[in-house]
Parts: sequence; C-alpha cells; structure tokens
Amino acid sequence: MADNRYETLVLIHPEQGEPGLKEIAARIRSLMEDQGCTVNQVWEWGMRDLSYVIAKQRRGLYVLFEYRATPKALQEITRNLRLMDPVLRFLSVRQAENAPPASARPVRRPDREELGEGGGGDFDGLGEGEGA
Amino acid sequence: MGRRKVCRFCADKTMLIDYKDSRGLGNFLTERGKIIPARITGTCARHQRRLTVAIKQARSMALLPFSAMYP
Repeated sequence: MADNRYETLVLIHPEQGEPGLKEIAARIRSLMEDQGCTVNQVWEWGMRDLSYVIAKQRRGLYVLFEYRATPKALQEITRNLRLMDPVLRFLSVRQAENAPPASARPVRRPDREELGEGGGGDFDGLGEGEGA
Repeated sequence: MGRRKVCRFCADKTMLIDYKDSRGLGNFLTERGKIIPARITGTCARHQRRLTVAIKQARSMALLPFSAMYP
C-alpha cells in the first residue's frame, strides 16, 4: 500500500518530567509500529517554554516523530493521540518525499532546563520576535 | 526611492520554511506576534503563503505566540 512521509510533533504535559516523556514517546512509537509504520527518527526536544499558557502550564515537553505511514494508519494514530491524557497538543504534517530529514533542519533551541519547577511568574517564551 | 526588495526564500534556495524553526519564523512577525505583510518583507506571494501556514502551525503548537502579552 502506498505510504507517505509524515512527521508529528507532540506536546506533553510538563508534569510527566523527562522520564515520563521517554515513556510516552516509547508508547507512541510502539503505537505507530503497531499500525505498520516505519519510524525513522524520534527527537526528544525536552522541556521548552510555551509561547502561551496551555492547560495552565507555561512549559511543555516536546517530541518529534518522523515516520512513514499509510493514510489509514495516520488516522488511527491521530485518534489514539487524542485519547492520551498527557498529550496536550499534536501536529502531524506530511513531508515531501525529497524533503531533508528533520535533523538537517534548524530546530534546536536549548531551553532553560535548569530553571526549577514553580519558578514564579515571569513569562519569557516571547523573545522570538526580535533579531533581524 | 526605495530599493527593490527580493524575496529571501527565492534569493537563498537553501532557506526552508519550517514550522519548527520558531527562530527563523520570528523574523516575519512583529513584536506583538502579528505576521508582517509581504509588502514590507518583500517575500514573494508563493513563499508568503507557505510562511503564513508555517507560522500558524507553529502557533498551534505554542512555538510562537498568537499575540504577545502586555508587559
């Protein structure tokens, strides 16, 4: 069956912590593989500041999956992601066959991981707009 | 008067429009987080369309703000 290249970015509740992120990432991965997908890459971005508050959280854990799937399988993955409680948001995008892998694209932005939980009210996920 | 602006994405073919690149997309937003019109940035119509899609995708994943908060 014809399959396509997809990539899915998942935002996970920060409460899960880094170990929880690993576990959920593994769960999503096995979910994809159960659907007959070939998962090419899993990128754990880890904790990042959110640009706005989601579920009363200012930060969140991100994971990026790169895989091949049939449209049917993608539907099923989407359905399952909606059912997963720690998943706050997700976005699946179809990639062109000749697009470079995610690793070749600029993504990394090391975020303040060292900042402990409940660090007070300053909101600094907004610094994106500056710089020319 | 004004210098003719060239679309950045046409000028540099290696430059990709990607919703995950919140840094790069940030160049096409105002400080308030609004999308800067193509007539200001000089982006061609084709790339501006892709840019807006990418920005909106990034917004939905909280990589970019819908609107900046008041100080």
